Amino acid sequence: MGFASKYRNEIGLLVAIICVVGFTLIFNQSYLTAPEINVKNILHQTALLGIFALGAAMVIIVGGIDLSSGSVIVFSASICALVLMACAPVDESTGMPQTDQIVGWSPVLLAIGVTIVVGLVIGTLHTWLITVVQLPPFVATLASLVGLRSFAKVLNPAVSKALGSEVTKVRADAESFVLLSEWWVALTVFLVLAVGCYVLMSHTVCGRHLYALGGNEEAARLSGIQTDRMKWLVYSIGAVTASIAGILYLAKIGAANPATLGVGYELNAIAAAVVGGCSLRGGIGLIPGVMLGVLFLRVVIDAINKVVPKGSDDFQGMIVGFLVVLAVAVNEFRRQGGGKKKQFFPGSLGVAVIPILSLVGASVLFVMYGNTAGIVTFFSVLAILTAWKITESAAAKR
Amino acid sequence: MNETAKPIVSIAHVTKQFPGVVALADVSFDVRDGELHSICGENGAGKSTLMKILSGVIVDYEGEVFLKSKSMKFAGTREAEAAGISIIHQELNLVEQLSAAANIFLGREKRTRFGFLDDHEMELAAEKLLAELECHISPRALAGSLRVGDQQLVEIAKALSLNTDILIMDEPTSALTEAEVERLYRVIERLRQREVTILYISHKMDEVFRLSDRITVLRDGELVKTLDCAATSPTEVTRLMVGREIEAVDFGQPRQAGEVVLEVDNLSLPWPGHARQWRLQDVSFQLRSGEVLGIAGLMGAGRTELLECLFGASEEVPQGCILLGGESVSFRHPSEAKAAGIAMVTEDRKRLGIFAEMSVRENISICTLQKAVQAGLVVPAREQTFVDKIVDRLRVKTSGPESRITSLSGGNQQKTVIGRWLLTDPQVLLLDDPTRGVDVGAKAELYRLMDELCRQGIAIILTSSELPELLTVSDRILVLSEGVLTASFDRSEATEHKIMEAATVSARK
Repeated sequence: MGFASKYRNEIGLLVAIICVVGFTLIFNQSYLTAPEINVKNILHQTALLGIFALGAAMVIIVGGIDLSSGSVIVFSASICALVLMACAPVDESTGMPQTDQIVGWSPVLLAIGVTIVVGLVIGTLHTWLITVVQLPPFVATLASLVGLRSFAKVLNPAVSKALGSEVTKVRADAESFVLLSEWWVALTVFLVLAVGCYVLMSHTVCGRHLYALGGNEEAARLSGIQTDRMKWLVYSIGAVTASIAGILYLAKIGAANPATLGVGYELNAIAAAVVGGCSLRGGIGLIPGVMLGVLFLRVVIDAINKVVPKGSDDFQGMIVGFLVVLAVAVNEFRRQGGGKKKQFFPGSLGVAVIPILSLVGASVLFVMYGNTAGIVTFFSVLAILTAWKITESAAAKR
Repeated sequence: MNETAKPIVSIAHVTKQFPGVVALADVSFDVRDGELHSICGENGAGKSTLMKILSGVIVDYEGEVFLKSKSMKFAGTREAEAAGISIIHQELNLVEQLSAAANIFLGREKRTRFGFLDDHEMELAAEKLLAELECHISPRALAGSLRVGDQQLVEIAKALSLNTDILIMDEPTSALTEAEVERLYRVIERLRQREVTILYISHKMDEVFRLSDRITVLRDGELVKTLDCAATSPTEVTRLMVGREIEAVDFGQPRQAGEVVLEVDNLSLPWPGHARQWRLQDVSFQLRSGEVLGIAGLMGAGRTELLECLFGASEEVPQGCILLGGESVSFRHPSEAKAAGIAMVTEDRKRLGIFAEMSVRENISICTLQKAVQAGLVVPAREQTFVDKIVDRLRVKTSGPESRITSLSGGNQQKTVIGRWLLTDPQVLLLDDPTRGVDVGAKAELYRLMDELCRQGIAIILTSSELPELLTVSDRILVLSEGVLTASFDRSEATEHKIMEAATVSARK
């Protein structure tokens, strides 16, 4: 395989990223007037998402799925903050721990160490549920997704009360810890982890075995590969990367709030991996692709923030959903040989889907630009798709 | 049975080709109204293909099928059922989560006046049908909770409720207990009183001779002969079943077997929840270096299971003793067997052998990549070197080690899998039906390769569905039947006929 065909997906993503940035440049002046802030912001966000997207991608490459990242992030952030609180000097008049009074690095390093161990513990638990109890990965990690957030909600007030604090939001504002909120810290951590994952996946025996496991688990076992150990490795990496992200989010926000932090992040990570070329069937996916997938996702979200007049945050989910469908559909289409004639709107299901798609498009444009835009979109999408269906049915009959 | 009875089914010049294989070649014979007609043949003789054509599972074939003198071309199993042909597959086809009654009437559910399901009516009807078949189960029992023998009777009840007049049974006794087999014979007798014509597929001679009126023998997709049961003998039928042709390979000098490398003593593999209880029972043999030990046996005889036990890949823990180089071993994972010098090339190459997403290089080096490691990293040049060596040595035809494994022919894919294992320097090489789906020329190449490896001192255990292949390559041949070792032959005394007799003997005690 030549370079171009091996990295076809990555090259496509690069082009897409450039297009999106160009598009944003045309519609918004911010990139030109304040390039530095924009670049820092995008890179910071990319790094934070990228850290645990790497873990999610590796789990996907071995043919599993990890739905727990969002909750692991908030749980790890809580643990990290609680350790900091436990190390903080106590205010003599109120008896409350003063996290902003922490001096030096050792409490911070301790907190980070404990948090990473917690990530390892979660990953090990997942592996046990999957390989020994034989739960499907979907179920095992779904349980963590629901359970860990709730656990954090219960744990935070209980522990902080025991430490003498009254707040439910666990704060972490030690001066040395706040340093971790710098954009270049997150970026450095991301790049180091990415290089590590790349070397592991592409240049070690272990990585080859991971791809083999993802491609054909039974054949891998019969080739003498210790598939259970491999699974432990990736599920641990999945959880530990989420824990690291949790520490950095905590530093950025300053407090771990189980009700809001990291909600839905696991899907962003999976989306980035899939957009980056990982196949949910396992066995396929490259780390550089995942990195570009993350960057692409963040650039698109940033573009929406810049271009959409109001409530841009709420558009994130739709964009991510749309991109995932698009990426997987394109990959499937390619896998099935692309050249074959495929009907997208066959029979009555096709008839039903055309107005649905038109309505979806119209609704989006309606909330963004009002009545006229909505109506025009509805009828133009309807007309285009109807024409599509007619031509494709005619072609199929021939 | 009347000699001049009119044929109810006529099969006329039926040919079916699969890519690369002719499964049926110009087969013609008649099935008389009301008779029990057995179809016999080795694995791959074309029995199942023929039955699939009759029951509407396979719809594109050449030739014609006449039902009651009318030419029929079924578009699916539904049409075949409507015309009165039902099939009881070897792997039963019930919806486990539904009741026996619901299964019997699946797709033809009885309804009340208001259009709701009439469970009561269906249960009554099912109960009547089942009682007629000596099947004393509640029609409300979930199909999944029934014993295999009862599940089979539920399928037969379903066929009866369809007013079937031609029933095809594909090796119906393979998963039954002794008592269940006796009951099935009585059910068959009752079906015959109802003038149901039965096509009976089996390779167990005692069954065939006990039940049949006539026997048709297939071999390599061709019709050998249709015989009257009264005028023939099990010996004649087994003789007709064997005799496939393969390319002759000359190995030159006879090989010299060395010392014993592997000794298996009373190996048994439990089969929980199955009437037979044991997949393998008290199997003992020795394997010497430099010899090919062939293992013959029909489908389900336990060949693959035996190799899996030796390779530490069996699902259950085997009992008994395995000695490798004089030391007792009990592998629980293939990695342990690999480290001890045992290699296994699995049966189903696509499902268990190759990594379809990977290149030829990656497929070859997967077991031994550690050899190319320096300072924790894989050195591509080293990997390339030993991959190239194997590609040359086994003469793998490929446009290059970077091409996708799926772009290779079956024979060359098999060579890469064998090459993968040769790199581990095995003492014992287990080959499970390695020539399946491989074309004739490549087969001969694989035979020569096995001979070459033996001469280098590797001990090989080979299983195969093709007797001539075993007779060509093996020094000794063991025969399994239903998990029991029924015979052992030296090459000089083995004949296809003797092997087939040992493989079709009912070994159950």
